[in-house]
Amino acid sequence: MKWRAAILAAGVCGWLVSAAGQQPQQNFDNVKIQVTPVQKNIYMLFGAGGNVTVQVGKDGVLLIDTEFEPLVPKLMAEIKKLSDGPIQYIINTHVHGDHVGGNDAFYKLIPKNPQLPLNIIAHANVLNRLTAPGPNGAPGTSTAEHPGFPEDEYDTPYKDFYYNGEPIFIYHEPNAHTDGDSVILFRGSDVVTTGDIFTPDSYPFIDIARGGSVKGEIDALDHILELTVPADHQEGGTYVIPGHGRVCDEADVVEFRDMVVIVKDRVQDLIKKGKTLDQVKASKPTEDYDTEYGANGADRFVEAVYKSLSGK
Amino acid sequence: MRRILFAILIVGAVPALTFAQGGRGGGRGGPPPQGKAGAPVDLSGYWVSPIFEDYRWRMFTPLKGDAASVPINDAARKIVDAWDPAKDEAAGEQCKAYGAAGIMRVPGRLHITWQDDNTLKIETDAGTQTRLFHFTGQAPKEGEPSWQGYSAAKWEVTALPGGPAGVGLGMLPRQGTKSRTLDVVTTQLRPGYLRKNGVPYGANTTLTEYYDHWSEPSGQEWFTVTTVVTDPEYLAIPFVTTTDFKKEPDGSKFNPRPCTAR
Amino acid sequence: MKKTAPLLLLIAVMGVPAFAQMDFTGEWAPLYHEDNPERIPGPELGDYMGIPINNAARLRGDAYDADRISVVSEYQCRPHGGDYSMRGLANMRVTEEYGPDDHLLAIHTRMNFQEQARTIWMDARPHPSELAPHTFQGFSTGTWEDNMLAVFTTHEKESYLRRNGLPRSDKATFVEHWVRHGNLLTIVTAITDPVFLTETFVRSQTWQLDPGQRMGRDICEYVPEIAKPVGTVPAHLPGTNPFLHEVADWYGLPFEATRGGSATLYPEYKDKAPKPDKVPAMCDRYCACGQNGRGCNLH
Repeated sequence: MKWRAAILAAGVCGWLVSAAGQQPQQNFDNVKIQVTPVQKNIYMLFGAGGNVTVQVGKDGVLLIDTEFEPLVPKLMAEIKKLSDGPIQYIINTHVHGDHVGGNDAFYKLIPKNPQLPLNIIAHANVLNRLTAPGPNGAPGTSTAEHPGFPEDEYDTPYKDFYYNGEPIFIYHEPNAHTDGDSVILFRGSDVVTTGDIFTPDSYPFIDIARGGSVKGEIDALDHILELTVPADHQEGGTYVIPGHGRVCDEADVVEFRDMVVIVKDRVQDLIKKGKTLDQVKASKPTEDYDTEYGANGADRFVEAVYKSLSGK
Repeated sequence: MRRILFAILIVGAVPALTFAQGGRGGGRGGPPPQGKAGAPVDLSGYWVSPIFEDYRWRMFTPLKGDAASVPINDAARKIVDAWDPAKDEAAGEQCKAYGAAGIMRVPGRLHITWQDDNTLKIETDAGTQTRLFHFTGQAPKEGEPSWQGYSAAKWEVTALPGGPAGVGLGMLPRQGTKSRTLDVVTTQLRPGYLRKNGVPYGANTTLTEYYDHWSEPSGQEWFTVTTVVTDPEYLAIPFVTTTDFKKEPDGSKFNPRPCTAR
Repeated sequence: MKKTAPLLLLIAVMGVPAFAQMDFTGEWAPLYHEDNPERIPGPELGDYMGIPINNAARLRGDAYDADRISVVSEYQCRPHGGDYSMRGLANMRVTEEYGPDDHLLAIHTRMNFQEQARTIWMDARPHPSELAPHTFQGFSTGTWEDNMLAVFTTHEKESYLRRNGLPRSDKATFVEHWVRHGNLLTIVTAITDPVFLTETFVRSQTWQLDPGQRMGRDICEYVPEIAKPVGTVPAHLPGTNPFLHEVADWYGLPFEATRGGSATLYPEYKDKAPKPDKVPAMCDRYCACGQNGRGCNLH
């Protein structure tokens, strides 16, 4: 029961902290999964937590992130409409519960076939955090207890493989939203999945406690901009599936990146002037962005930026 | 085959007959009515133009010499650069910027009513001006020029469906176009200003306006007036502006005040 | 008669006309007889006049540094949004597309600036879901209101209300009414933006039919224009923009009025507005824009 409480706590906590300003949903009964075609092989599914990326093709199905555990049957039902193929890959963009919460449930639902093994991939820091000892010395959870944990971990700058007729790159973005973030490029479909590094409708949650930093966040956004190429007059071309929110492209990422940089510059300036965190918050460095990204998440964002820059 | 052709001919005629019976009060084959009886939209009420466009030339008196956007000619440029409001005041011509060719751009409110069945009245609180739109036909041959001139108005003619041509193999009966536009042509204008800082229009100016009523999805009513000022004396080409008026619930903000030259 | 009666009925049903559309097709040249200096050379920095912005928009404008367009290379080829396209460099071509049943399926516009193409769907199709991608021109559907075309557009990308940093969000929608009077086409645009506007923002503009117009290509390729470290985003820190008073001083206006907002838009504001700090004796900037039907130069 301890692991269930832990994952549930992580899940609820993760959802709370990654969905800025939103109330956690306790009842998933009325949640309907929305399916949005993105480009070529790629679809985006959204229920209540983080966006789920689905790649389908002649080899099978690849998922990025798994939402909350109670939604997995509904997700599976929608995936089956897109493809009958076996799910062979699950990639987790980061450790938060609204992105990894469904891993175990998917693992249990997916038929076991040694010829078509299921690979659950994430950066090593995701697995480290999922299995880390709990507070007050409580023992950590194990992969034996959680077969859905991403055991196919990587700890290099990137990992690549070929699936469904296209190369897939998984890039580690160090110390961005967390210390275990991955950005995934589908080179053939020309789609990038970003996890919560990019959330077009809310301030980024820079999870300092889990290794996030504003420098890493900006570097990650800049890297996403390197990966994206617009088709015509700064529009279309490479599509971007954010951690939460609508399908985007490069122009949308630029607006978000610019906001982060501008707020960072403001906070940096105030730190140079010797301002405390409370004074920085009182100066409202996000005032011109609050109506767009939500005033509720502003203080948390500013605090994370302050702590990243000041080391305090 | 003859029966089929006969059927097509009959069907082609049916829509025209249908319209004539169910149209805007017109008798069978007669022109549609004008004036109040023929109004396809209701322009009556109180209206205000929020100054969303040309703000610095409308809300405040622009600097002397500023005729930006107006296609004035060289003769007008001399007048613009010599503008002197004190002279206008001394001559009792404080209302030069409130003439018909400029009044719709002056910040203010309108009160629109039917003076009678054939006359639409527009009262402006800015400069306490009154424009009368006459639906009775042409202007009188001789008339004293005035700030507001003489305005001949008509509801734009609706093109009837089912006209004579348009029946043939593969052709559907001609469709009509129903209009809701008010056309107004104003002449007999006294020379005035297109803007408060003395951008002139002359005595031979013709003002053509098109009033179009529309609504936001919320139901908020507006009308837009497209204004074409044709002045062979001071404009190089016709000067075209569009001004948008929002309907107000009542006249509580209607605030009559006199003309000012500054 | 037995054979022709059903045929008569069928043809009659097919042939009963609704009142039909106007023809907006053609090459249209915009008239800049309103706000010429803003729309052609470009708005002055700090000029927020005439727009019902909230404080967030105002502060965004204050932070705007035009270097951003050069330094952030992704902005160099950024086109106008569908709403601003009607306002800015706006030579336009309008064409129609008919479906296989010869009913009007769509009206297409092409604007010369950045070759922006927009489709106004006339077949009552629904707008995409809120999770679908946004485009600069947005997704538009149209219906006829007698001789006017009413267009509703959603799904625009974030863009600007004015080209001096005043933003327009991706939550905005806009409604247009198109009406033609002879060779003049007037389009009224009403923008609703819950993020940056406090009321509907209405602008109207007119085009003249120009059969001789040839638009050609507007090809854009971004290049590094100013060498800056990767990730630099030029912006003014709060309270440091030195240019905000220029427009008031140059044109003899109250500074408060230049800050925009609903309170400054209505006739009663004229009496309440504070006095300007400076009033030049004569116009010195853009005084002759459009004179003799020509372009718009600074002096």
